[in-house]
Amino acid sequence: MNALLSVTNLSVSLGDTTLVESIAFDLEPGEVLCIVGESGSGKSMTAKALMGLLPPKAAAQGKAMFDGMNLLSEEVTPPRGTGIGLIFQEPMTALTPVLTIGLQLTEALETHGLCQKDEAYERAVAMLERVGIPEPETRMRQYPHELSGGMRQRVVIAMMMLLGPRVLIADEPTTALDVTVQAQILDLLREIVRDTQIGLILITHDMGVVAEMADHVLVMRAGKAEEFGKVAEIFSAPKAAYTRDLLDAVPRIDSISIREDVASDVLLSAQNISKTFNMRGSLFAGQRGQKALDDVSLDIQRGETLALVGESGSGKTTLGHVIARLTDAEAGKVLMNGTDLTALSGRALQAERRAVQMVFQDPYASLDPRQSIGRTIAEPMIIHESLSKDERQSRVFDLLEKVDLSPDAARRYPHEFSGGQRQRIAIARAIAARPTLVVADEPTSALDVSIQARVLDLLDALKRSEKLTMLFISHDLAVVRQIADRVAVMRNGRILEMGPASALFADPKHPYTRALIDVAPVPDPTRKHGVRPVLKGDYPVGPLSEVSAGHWVAA
Amino acid sequence: MSMSAQQDAPKAPPGFLRRLLRSPSGAIGLGIVLLLLFFAIFAEMLAPYNPNKMGAGGRFLPPGGKHLLGTDEFGRDMFSRILFGSRITLLIGAVAVGISLTIGMAVGMIAAFRRGWIEAILMRSTDVLFSFTETLIALSFVAVLGPSLQNAGIAVGVAGIPFYARTCYAAALVETSKPYFEASISAGARPARLVMVHLLPNVLPTMIVVATLGVSTAILAAAGLSFLGLGAQPPTSEWGYMLAGSRDYINRAPWLMTIPGIAIAITVLGFNLLGDGLRTSLDPVERK
Amino acid sequence: MWRFLGTRIAMGALTIWITTILVTLLIHAVPGDPVQIMYAQSQGTTPEQIEEVRRSLGLDRPIPVQYAMYVERLLQGDLGHTIRGGQPVLEVIIQRLPNTLLLACAAMFIAILIGVPIGFLAAYREGTLTDIALMIIAIAGISMPHFWLGLMLLFFFALELGWLPVSGNGWLNLVLPALTLGLSNAAIFARLTRSSMIDVMSQDYVQTAFAKGLPKALVLRRHVLRAGLLPVVTMMGLQFAFMMGGAIVVENIFSWNGVGRMAVEAIFQRDYPIIQGFILTFSVVVVFVAIAIDALYAVLDPRIRRS
Repeated sequence: MNALLSVTNLSVSLGDTTLVESIAFDLEPGEVLCIVGESGSGKSMTAKALMGLLPPKAAAQGKAMFDGMNLLSEEVTPPRGTGIGLIFQEPMTALTPVLTIGLQLTEALETHGLCQKDEAYERAVAMLERVGIPEPETRMRQYPHELSGGMRQRVVIAMMMLLGPRVLIADEPTTALDVTVQAQILDLLREIVRDTQIGLILITHDMGVVAEMADHVLVMRAGKAEEFGKVAEIFSAPKAAYTRDLLDAVPRIDSISIREDVASDVLLSAQNISKTFNMRGSLFAGQRGQKALDDVSLDIQRGETLALVGESGSGKTTLGHVIARLTDAEAGKVLMNGTDLTALSGRALQAERRAVQMVFQDPYASLDPRQSIGRTIAEPMIIHESLSKDERQSRVFDLLEKVDLSPDAARRYPHEFSGGQRQRIAIARAIAARPTLVVADEPTSALDVSIQARVLDLLDALKRSEKLTMLFISHDLAVVRQIADRVAVMRNGRILEMGPASALFADPKHPYTRALIDVAPVPDPTRKHGVRPVLKGDYPVGPLSEVSAGHWVAA
Repeated sequence: MSMSAQQDAPKAPPGFLRRLLRSPSGAIGLGIVLLLLFFAIFAEMLAPYNPNKMGAGGRFLPPGGKHLLGTDEFGRDMFSRILFGSRITLLIGAVAVGISLTIGMAVGMIAAFRRGWIEAILMRSTDVLFSFTETLIALSFVAVLGPSLQNAGIAVGVAGIPFYARTCYAAALVETSKPYFEASISAGARPARLVMVHLLPNVLPTMIVVATLGVSTAILAAAGLSFLGLGAQPPTSEWGYMLAGSRDYINRAPWLMTIPGIAIAITVLGFNLLGDGLRTSLDPVERK
Repeated sequence: MWRFLGTRIAMGALTIWITTILVTLLIHAVPGDPVQIMYAQSQGTTPEQIEEVRRSLGLDRPIPVQYAMYVERLLQGDLGHTIRGGQPVLEVIIQRLPNTLLLACAAMFIAILIGVPIGFLAAYREGTLTDIALMIIAIAGISMPHFWLGLMLLFFFALELGWLPVSGNGWLNLVLPALTLGLSNAAIFARLTRSSMIDVMSQDYVQTAFAKGLPKALVLRRHVLRAGLLPVVTMMGLQFAFMMGGAIVVENIFSWNGVGRMAVEAIFQRDYPIIQGFILTFSVVVVFVAIAIDALYAVLDPRIRRS
């Protein structure tokens, strides 16, 4: 049977460097191909090559047969839009801010001569409805900035589908979206494939998404194809070592981890924390504010890992910052060992700060680019302890070793290290202060899956060896499942459910928690979801009440 | 004062100078600036005549022969005047930028660091002053203090403060919101350490570029004031002033007009190119 | 949108108010006795006359009272009288202001007309010889002192070629000063337009437009141009202020009868009432133009228009 798109020996080079080498796959109608790889694997380049949208100095070779023509050949201009469509990763920047949605939807129809103005309008409205956007007629007149990220992505999908392509390439279409929205977008894509029988090439780094969506899988690494096959085979019997490693590294929400019961005394107690962000922080600011934290209370027990879970806007990062006193709450207290951290200032605050240290999300901005690694790690020592230069240095070497880095890293500068290494340096700095509590704010979200696993293991090991307590903030339930003893689920500035990890995952009591667990993609193709229920607006947000031992749910 | 800023320059990644020289604008710019510095420093030795000596040669002698660039209406040697003018020009530029940079950076960094009402007052004031435009501020200064070269230099310096303050503020704001800054606060760093060790070195590259480009603006502004007669006074051999004097003799001795103008243009061009080159070469070496 | 404009108007009002304060204080910043200095140049003024002036200007009263007097007179349209000749300052300024505004507007027009298309062309052909050549010209243009350019133009077109008159106030006289001011600023617009366009062209939404299969010309015209011109509009306010400043010098070169020329003469003559009036006028004009341009921007940018 003639495949929709048949790729053999696709290569992309930029000058002397080869970016992508010998990629091959076939795509049938009504089928989903997932191209999976970590950063730098060349998956985006492959997509751009197929569309003829490579950067100016790059060149593609090989054969990509579509409709009898070779998309990669120099003489051919790929039928962009009408033959093949492309959806990008960032919905927030994918639409031109100064043009209306309506215009952006209809212009291609008119330019390609597919229909006249009036009919284009009708078709656009119909397509908006098809992709699940409410009030489509109103949207036509609106501008991109008036829509949320999820809605914008739907508009982009509508925009591409309007042109009736036979192949759709989606480059990480849901990476920038919340997990609940992600589920909806993926469902939408699956529906479209089923209804129109187009071929979908879905590029992602998330093995869970692959398991959910793919019929076939192409695993890429450093520009080369590691493996290609049917999804079931890739997951159950991967042939390439890289694929096996990748699958091993993926955290699973359904994993059963044995955590020791750490019932112990309370180390830190956050009580009734409230914080509002002003929309415009100026002298003329109005009262309109966003409630980031709304009367939040939680206790962290000594020696445990408490995970704070939520989507964007839940307030989890703000709470972490308040506990670390990097931001001040308007109301509430944070008590640690009897001391009210929120009441301190000046010298007293400075002295207490070392007890709570933070590891941040962005490894590329976590280290001062102008300071050597050694000085960065030594900073808490310089400030708090009066050690001699040699003592400091030996302790720095010690710490570097603890995070699996060689001592000569101390002389070097951040730009010489990779993301994963920088994160380990950040961890070394955090424990250099000899803290009691470490707040890890999405420490692995910006890292590749294989690196992520190692950093998580490191955090866990250090927690035990340094006798730390950890507050782990994340949006990724699978990661949380692996590392947490207790979990607190937040949304819109409130805690909705809190309890031991095993109890919470096995039997979530709050509808929101259930929804979160439900939509999380599982890297197991045998467990594909059906169409998922949309989380309706109303859910209980009242004060917490205890439903079983240590398990609290909002009423 | 701009020289001390150079001494504080952070340990940039190796090959910074090489990268600067690799960009054509950087190389040419640096060349011009160094040449000017050379002229300015060694003016006494290079100049064949005393720049203020009237009747060093006949009046209105065209360029060539004993007077490389001709003579002016008083018989003063143009080449010597241009040479000494370079010293004045560079000094004025340095003084003006020095004032703008130090005060501007102080204001900008304090506003970004302190936040709250201090930030609001400082930045609003800066905005108001900024809308006065540099020309007006400089003019007002001179109107009050009286025309003189020093006053012109100080005027241009003060006039530039709002721009430097705003630029520094924006750059500092970016740095203070980065996690590494918060990490230092968490480690217990006091304000002095935060500003000197973390904020200043990271803001400096941007400000160096701004300052270099700013030298050219300052030179043009000061020359403009002198041209109007509000800056350098006779018999100073300042280029703007020389241009003013050439007006009456445009027909008779056009070189009196072209030569100082070219001198200013080349100087300004040099600093502009150098600033552009610095901008590209001081970019952080980050690769994701 | 109204919130945006409201803030701008409030800032503008604040600026003008602060200007009035600064203008009042100006006289006191002068080292020495301002009144003596003012009248140093006119012979035959008796000490009694000097005292009279001092009293009428309110210089013997405490500063807040002076300020109140100043504002009171201001609201009545009285900006004081010139030292030389005793004409009402307001009259003197009103006679000349339109000339300066005409010059600044003409220069702005030229600068945009020449600068923006050049910048756009350079961005379109980024990296090619055309781009490099245009940008070299632009950087040369920025480096050239505008007063020198003025002299050169005067020399070539008026004196050598005799095509245009040297001084005077007719329409033909506007050409050279406007060209002088306009050409120097054209270079700034060219560089700004170029970098703005290049920035926009690297944005995701331009890639999306190409992914839809739209032809390059259409993408540039509809997607790139509109988004890329927004920062240029923002700069227009600032550039107008620069032109007003530049006009001061250019008016001098071409003997163009505007407020700039008036101001410089006043500074030499220590005619403080005119200087004060000039500063105030300059400020008010710049503030008004800035607000007008901000309003234009608010209308053009849907993100502000619809917020």
